Amino acid sequence: MTSETGTTSWQVALDADELWEDEMTGVTIGDTAILLVNQGGEVRAFEDRCAHQEWALSDGVLEDGTITCVRHSWQFDAETGAGQNPTGCQLRTFGCKVQDGVIYVDAPDE
Amino acid sequence: MDETVVIVGAGTTGVSAAQTLRQEGYTGRIVLIGAESVPPYERPPLSKEFLHDDNRDVATIVLKDQQWYDEHGIEVRLGRTVTAIDPARHCVQLDDGSRLTYRQLLIATGGRPRRIPGVEGQRVHYLRDAHDAERLGAALTPRSHLIVLGGGFIGCEVAATARRRGARVTVIEREPAPLARVLGADIGSAIARVHRDKGVDFRVGSDTSELSVTTQGVSVTLSSGESIDGTELLVAIGMVPNDELASAAGITVDNGIVVDDACQTSAPDVYAAGDVAVHAHPLFDRLPLRVEQYDNAVRQGAAAARAMLGDHSAYDDPHWFWSDQYEHSLQCIGIPTGHDQVVLRGSTDDNAFTAFYLRRGAIRAAVSLNRGKDVLMARTLISVGTPVDLHALADESVPVNRVAPRTRTPSPASEAPSPPPGMAVGAGRPMIRCRVRAGG
Repeated sequence: MTSETGTTSWQVALDADELWEDEMTGVTIGDTAILLVNQGGEVRAFEDRCAHQEWALSDGVLEDGTITCVRHSWQFDAETGAGQNPTGCQLRTFGCKVQDGVIYVDAPDE
Repeated sequence: MDETVVIVGAGTTGVSAAQTLRQEGYTGRIVLIGAESVPPYERPPLSKEFLHDDNRDVATIVLKDQQWYDEHGIEVRLGRTVTAIDPARHCVQLDDGSRLTYRQLLIATGGRPRRIPGVEGQRVHYLRDAHDAERLGAALTPRSHLIVLGGGFIGCEVAATARRRGARVTVIEREPAPLARVLGADIGSAIARVHRDKGVDFRVGSDTSELSVTTQGVSVTLSSGESIDGTELLVAIGMVPNDELASAAGITVDNGIVVDDACQTSAPDVYAAGDVAVHAHPLFDRLPLRVEQYDNAVRQGAAAARAMLGDHSAYDDPHWFWSDQYEHSLQCIGIPTGHDQVVLRGSTDDNAFTAFYLRRGAIRAAVSLNRGKDVLMARTLISVGTPVDLHALADESVPVNRVAPRTRTPSPASEAPSPPPGMAVGAGRPMIRCRVRAGG
């Protein structure tokens, strides 16, 4: 996967050991707030910003494959970032890989 | 019989029902009838962002765009009201003289503000629809003094928004604390303090003995004899359910349209949901509840749709609501009543706390200020009804979803012998860290 400029820009996001299975956390890369989600052992990266009113999703809850925003309970699929409740919205997604115990995210570094 | 579902009322409930019908595979005709001339929109912003923003464009808060209704084959008739329901003939009469035959009918007519007879005029405001919010918002300026009658959710949220717009605000509440009937006096007092810290003159335990409205302003005389003069008056003393249509059709009403666990009214093939419906909640002692909240509108509307399609499982989701006031997030799940114990996380003094309401060791409700995650995590515990570890519950460092035995086992490593019946355990997190793999 490549960033919006068409080039891949892997940034160190977090030690893989810091993100347990079925947990999520927020990190900042450059100016971008990133939500890292470990769903069943697979790590994915989304923008850490609810599609509703832009509250940080990392303050919310990950349960049964669903990310729920803490403010107004908007819900997103933890695998795709697609809106579940309501439907018709989508979290911005970033490329993500785990290599040598480190999580990398394809995000602009400034 | 005509394969048509008619939905009376194009609010959150009606749209949720229409959406659910399509999601669940219903292919027949759906007609959604709304009294307002604008497309269905979200009401929560009417006391908050919509009221605050100068442009107040309904297009910014619509539930769905026109394309969505087209794609899902939902006929939306706006600016139309249903004037009569004939349950025997399975048809409704519209105000344009037309009739519609239904296979199934959903009444989602919501409610209207409770009014004080004779208290009307340019300076007097009630808040229910976008038009009300446009008029009220335009009147809130740094030169205005808004007097709010009633310290309920609408009163408190509008007070917060009015302060953000620079208006002077006085709230007059009859009870000793705002929101006390729903949330209790302690939490109500914390909310009153939040408002006072923002410069609201918050009067509690104050009865109004006289109201005088002119074209120039309003004057409120309290039972103490004190008189308060303002430029605008918001009457926010509750909502009246729009149940007259059902009542006139012989459908059972009792402060709202009475429905069973599957949203069915006393008339065959007629359902009701949302602000207008009264149901006996299975989780809360079957108290008759009429819930005036957004989340219930979505969920109960969906439950009514599923019932129409033959799924008659009980609608028993714990009710959840939020109220955003200033930078603060107030949330509640369940009904804080019928408990024998309250456990507090954090402190009501520092605007970050959660109160858990328990019965026989199980959580029945949770109310939080700025700790919404506790409320989110409590949802499952309330539905399951498992006793929890009280020490863990009071411990801010323990996530709320770890205060009861887990309902599903995350991995064999965390399996433990079952506790004796009635004994609460803290499950803790799995002791083995799971290495991650690269994902999508």
